[in-house]
Amino acid sequence: MATFLLRRLLLGILTLLVITCFVYGLARAMPGTPLTAQMGEDPSRKLNPEDQERLRRIYGLDKPWYAGYAQWLGNVTRGDLGRSITRKQPVTTLIAERIGPTFLISGTALLLIWLMAIPLGLYASARSGTADERATSLLLYVLYSFPTFVAALFLQIVFSVWLRGTAWELPLFGMTDLPSTAPWLARAADVARHAILPVVCQTYVSLAYDSRFIRANMAEVLRQDYIRTARAKGAGPWRVLFRHAFRNTLIPLATLIGLSLPGLIGGSVIIEQIFTWPGMGRLFFESIRERDYPTIMGLTLMFSVLTLLGQLLADLLYCLVDPRVSVE
Amino acid sequence: MAHSGGFWAEAWRRYRRRPLALAAVAFVGLLILVAIFAPAIAGTKPVLCRYQGRLYAPCLGYFNRQWEPAIFTKDRFRGTYPQNLKDKDPESWAIWPLVFQDPFRAVRENEWPGRSENPARDEGRPSRQNLFGTDQAGVDVFAKMVHGTTVALLVGFVSMGIAGTIGILVGAIGGYFGGWVDSLTSRVTEIVMCIPTLVLILAIIAILEKPTIWHTMAIIGATGWTGIARLTRGEFLRLKNAEFVMAARAAGAGPLRIMLRHILPNALAPILVPITFGIASAILVESSLSFLGFGPPPPSASWGSVLNDARSNLSMWWLVFFPGVAIFLTVLAYNLIGEGLQEATDPRLREARK
Repeated sequence: MATFLLRRLLLGILTLLVITCFVYGLARAMPGTPLTAQMGEDPSRKLNPEDQERLRRIYGLDKPWYAGYAQWLGNVTRGDLGRSITRKQPVTTLIAERIGPTFLISGTALLLIWLMAIPLGLYASARSGTADERATSLLLYVLYSFPTFVAALFLQIVFSVWLRGTAWELPLFGMTDLPSTAPWLARAADVARHAILPVVCQTYVSLAYDSRFIRANMAEVLRQDYIRTARAKGAGPWRVLFRHAFRNTLIPLATLIGLSLPGLIGGSVIIEQIFTWPGMGRLFFESIRERDYPTIMGLTLMFSVLTLLGQLLADLLYCLVDPRVSVE
Repeated sequence: MAHSGGFWAEAWRRYRRRPLALAAVAFVGLLILVAIFAPAIAGTKPVLCRYQGRLYAPCLGYFNRQWEPAIFTKDRFRGTYPQNLKDKDPESWAIWPLVFQDPFRAVRENEWPGRSENPARDEGRPSRQNLFGTDQAGVDVFAKMVHGTTVALLVGFVSMGIAGTIGILVGAIGGYFGGWVDSLTSRVTEIVMCIPTLVLILAIIAILEKPTIWHTMAIIGATGWTGIARLTRGEFLRLKNAEFVMAARAAGAGPLRIMLRHILPNALAPILVPITFGIASAILVESSLSFLGFGPPPPSASWGSVLNDARSNLSMWWLVFFPGVAIFLTVLAYNLIGEGLQEATDPRLREARK
């Protein structure tokens, strides 16, 4: 076990080095710097050449990209992700600010997905072949192919434009309209109202995917000999489904849980962008546009670590649910 | 591939039993036809015309600017054909596209006899003149979408062609040779899996001076091969010790020949499935990029960029509805084809159905 973890750790560090180096090189190769990107948006902030040169030196933009990368890497090993150039704040503070809103959406969505996907998947396998099962499966299939950003636009049109002025109206974007001085309860209710559409958008695709996944694995398990044995010895259909079949579909499910980890904290760029939700995905998008190298790098590092951790988690869960599998 | 014809004939027989999967193939076929005949379906340039005693096909200009006959530039047609043809050569005749609307500009008053100007801003709801409405600039949405079909189809085929080639190559080499080669290819696959695709695409689009739709396709292809590589590796691992491979080796076949002629045809069916699903996701990636405003620059019309126009004014529901439904149906069609392929070629699923 210890050697397995050590091996994975070393490989993980190597992967992280390659990815961060690559992304840093790419980010620096994009035309413009954080300074010019800011000036492009706001001409009044135009700096004279001497000041520009001074700032370039302060932020280390005068050095070639590999020197900049080495410096960034050195700081990271000391636990310092650096300061955002465009937002004048430490990158860790920025991430800490954005992680809550993202988690609010993705955590709620994930909870809803698992609460609904498992019963739906089991229901579909229990009633396999009947008319109501086929209708549900087809609907889930259609939902799975429906692009999120199209769904988001449809929902915005219906709930924010057509239903404007009715009790059903939902806010178009943002996280809250109330000032921070408003009472706690009112603000929570307002945030919840703003969160409905993004949560729905993030839920439905995964819900369709996951319940189909569970259904497919159940179908695989239900063909095994031990299921026939269980039926032959007189176990009822639900008992066969839960005690004999479902437990054996937990293995692929473990992988799926591991793989959903990066999305849980990384958020969705497109959904956060459409609903202007102040989360991680939007921060990532903005930092690329602003050429804010420290933020791009901090987020890239975080996403990569999460992806690798998710893969590791999936492997470990595998061993946990299936005693036949060993990490060695 | 005559020696494995039996397998594919059998697969097709199973595939045909699924009406939805067949309908999906028909839909993709329809899209291909629309893409090929786009300039004849909607446009303002004649499909064929006789001008000063010679025949021309100015509609080819929609595929490539240079293919538009030079004589019309020389005679200062400036893209408006109906009036100019009549004025400059009374003897001329022309076959016009089915719908006289341009994907790149608004049709003006009386450009076509008796036709009024395209409505602009938020007034262009769908009408008989503009089937799918018009956008803020007065450009016909139907024409835009007909011409955007090419992009949607190309994105899927080109990017998955690239991804399939890389994925099969990497997976085959890793799976067949094993050992340190396998460790190396597996690590490379893992690293590419961790690269944030969005950063890569946005960065490369920013770096390139003139990004085109081809660059987007290349990047989607260059990052989307990891799943295919993993599956190919698994198939090659499974098949490399099979008896027919041993027989081929005994007969003196080299590794390249064994990989391409003996293992690959047997591994192709399961590999085709993720490639088909990959086409669907490539279309999604491209349209979401265009939607975020990072799509191909004009004049490449993409369905996603029509959706992007809608973001500034949501009351123009037709800018969301038509492209949204088109993207959805295309993605659905490819997913259905992928699933049909899976059911038709996976022997385990076949036994279950009896």
